[in-house]
Amino acid sequence: MTLAMMGPAVVLYTVLTVVPVGVAIYLSLTNWNGFSSADFIGLDNYRHLFDDPNSTKSWYVTALIAAVGTVCEVGLGLVYALILKGRSRGNSFFRAVAYFPHVISALILGYLWAAILGTNGAINNTLGKFGVGPVGFLFDENMALYSLIAVIVWAGFGFNVVLFVAALQTVPAELLEAAAIDGANRRQTNLRVVVPMIAPVVTIATVLNLVGLIRAYDIVVSLTGGGPAGSTQTFSYLILARSFESTKVGYATAQAVFLMVVSAVLALAVTALRNRQDQAATG
Amino acid sequence: MRKIWRRTCAFAAAPLVMASAAACGGGDSGSSAGGTTLRVIVNITPNLTEQYWNTLFDTYEKAHPGTTIKLELTGTISANAKLTQDLAAGDPPDIAQQITPTAEDADLYTDLTDQPWTAKTPLADQYAINGKRYLVGVGEQIQSLVFYNKAAFTKAGVDATGIKTLAQFTDAMAKLKSAGYTPLQTAGQWVTGAQFSMMADAGVMTADPDWTVKRKDGKVTFADSGYASYLQQYKSWIDAGYLKKSALGLTYPDGQTDFLNGKSAMYIMGSYFVPAADQAKKSDGIGVFTMPTDGAYPSGQFGNISDPYVVVNRSKHKAAAIDFVKWLVTDPEAVKSQLAADGNLRQGFTYPMSSLGTAVQQILDKAPSVIVKAGPHQPIAGYSDQLNTTIQSLFSGTSASSAASGLDKWWNSQN
Repeated sequence: MTLAMMGPAVVLYTVLTVVPVGVAIYLSLTNWNGFSSADFIGLDNYRHLFDDPNSTKSWYVTALIAAVGTVCEVGLGLVYALILKGRSRGNSFFRAVAYFPHVISALILGYLWAAILGTNGAINNTLGKFGVGPVGFLFDENMALYSLIAVIVWAGFGFNVVLFVAALQTVPAELLEAAAIDGANRRQTNLRVVVPMIAPVVTIATVLNLVGLIRAYDIVVSLTGGGPAGSTQTFSYLILARSFESTKVGYATAQAVFLMVVSAVLALAVTALRNRQDQAATG
Repeated sequence: MRKIWRRTCAFAAAPLVMASAAACGGGDSGSSAGGTTLRVIVNITPNLTEQYWNTLFDTYEKAHPGTTIKLELTGTISANAKLTQDLAAGDPPDIAQQITPTAEDADLYTDLTDQPWTAKTPLADQYAINGKRYLVGVGEQIQSLVFYNKAAFTKAGVDATGIKTLAQFTDAMAKLKSAGYTPLQTAGQWVTGAQFSMMADAGVMTADPDWTVKRKDGKVTFADSGYASYLQQYKSWIDAGYLKKSALGLTYPDGQTDFLNGKSAMYIMGSYFVPAADQAKKSDGIGVFTMPTDGAYPSGQFGNISDPYVVVNRSKHKAAAIDFVKWLVTDPEAVKSQLAADGNLRQGFTYPMSSLGTAVQQILDKAPSVIVKAGPHQPIAGYSDQLNTTIQSLFSGTSASSAASGLDKWWNSQN
């Protein structure tokens, strides 16, 4: 009976997840170009991951986006949620404003910000009228990477605000009252009472942001196109815009499998760290 | 069975490999009750817009009732990438524009050699693979051209007809800079690397037309060839301020607009720049000369077939697709329309040209050769992207020698 109940879910999971991953792992061991026959080449694609000059650089870019982006998205989301946790029209409005970019396609956001930050964009045009600039938001290698991160954070932190505001509603009022009676100020209450209470949601948000940012692609395409000089080329961009376009589907699949493994390891690591902290806190 | 396995593989791997490729859409190629629908993918450019293609296709549909031509947009990716995705997903279009078959993937495309009309299409033999014609085009475009702002040259006291060597080109840039102009216009996206190719290929490949073949065989390298000196030259222009780093933050159309608006004095670009200048009504103020080199003058023109079309082998309507492609590349009105839209050229076909278009035609007439990078002369996959990244890195302090050795390292890593 139990098996019969689980059957449909198991079949769906197998067909939609297990089989694609299995096939992807198989393809990653071949030199398939996407259309003709594939030859088995063992681990050659995985070895090539480490001698491909573009891979190393793209991993650095991806790691920086994931690390800085996650910290900023979660941190900003938390601060914003703590400020706007109360129920009022004003707070609702500002929460909606924060969430708004999340409902727009990342591609469109990228084009929008390119029009703002580009050499002939709104900001540089305005600065030019005062004889300043142009500022290298998108043409300076270092600044372009941080412009990309800033846009990603702007576009993504609103999702965390929604998560955190929802979590904050679950913090028992008695705890807050007790903290107030004990003489805790607002900062102390937030740090010592509120944040620990919503720690599981923070962990989920951290994992979701981390895994999402490791796969950053669409906003890269529209904002910087991976440039200048490949300085904003993420690993996903490398897979889709370089390896796949060059019909190296076997190699692209190896890169994708590697990315999947890295994402899984990071997600597990963050969750494990959180669990260990929780266990230490409880006893 | 094998076919089913391939499709299964493609379907199953798609969520992982193409998770972000939202542009990938299904098609509905087929025979409807009203007739045949042909699915076509093309590259959308500032000259060849979606509206242009639809108008062109409407003309065919009116003359061929029962056939519907469906333009499939490629989103943020090139026609080549879209075709690769569609093929891998087992749902390719019937016809693709701007695809250059290689010996490795030629069997994906219909062999058109038995179609007598293909022999008379431009550069048909240069693009043949093992003597077979898989690709037919509308015309030719040449790319080793330097467009210049006549007013800027007059103000700087530069005579364009006297620029035949790279040294003279460099001197001209110095004078233009002194006159208050940005001497050479570039842009981000693909433009930086493409301009370098337009410049360096004219010199290196006029001297050695088989350079790419030799590079594939490992007999030459970037670091020990003419490309090294071109990289050195380009780097020296950046250091002297003849090229602006801020231009890397411009899109291709923005860079073009800056030149047209007189913000810069020279612009290395292909013949397809002419319609943009015509449309902006700036053609008369712009001149053009062939790219100077340190070797022969005039050099060969780096060029290619324009509006190349392939019929996908898996098309369910191959005969109808071939008929449509035949119309695209042989019908006088269709040919003239496409030539004029993108500023391309073809012997035996004329269309009203501006003074700038006529000047480009004269350069082609005088060119000793058209250097076509097709067949064995086609660089390895991904080269143009890598070159673009490398050239842009020169703006951030990478030395010319590092750039050359980096290109060699990348090329060697792709084998």
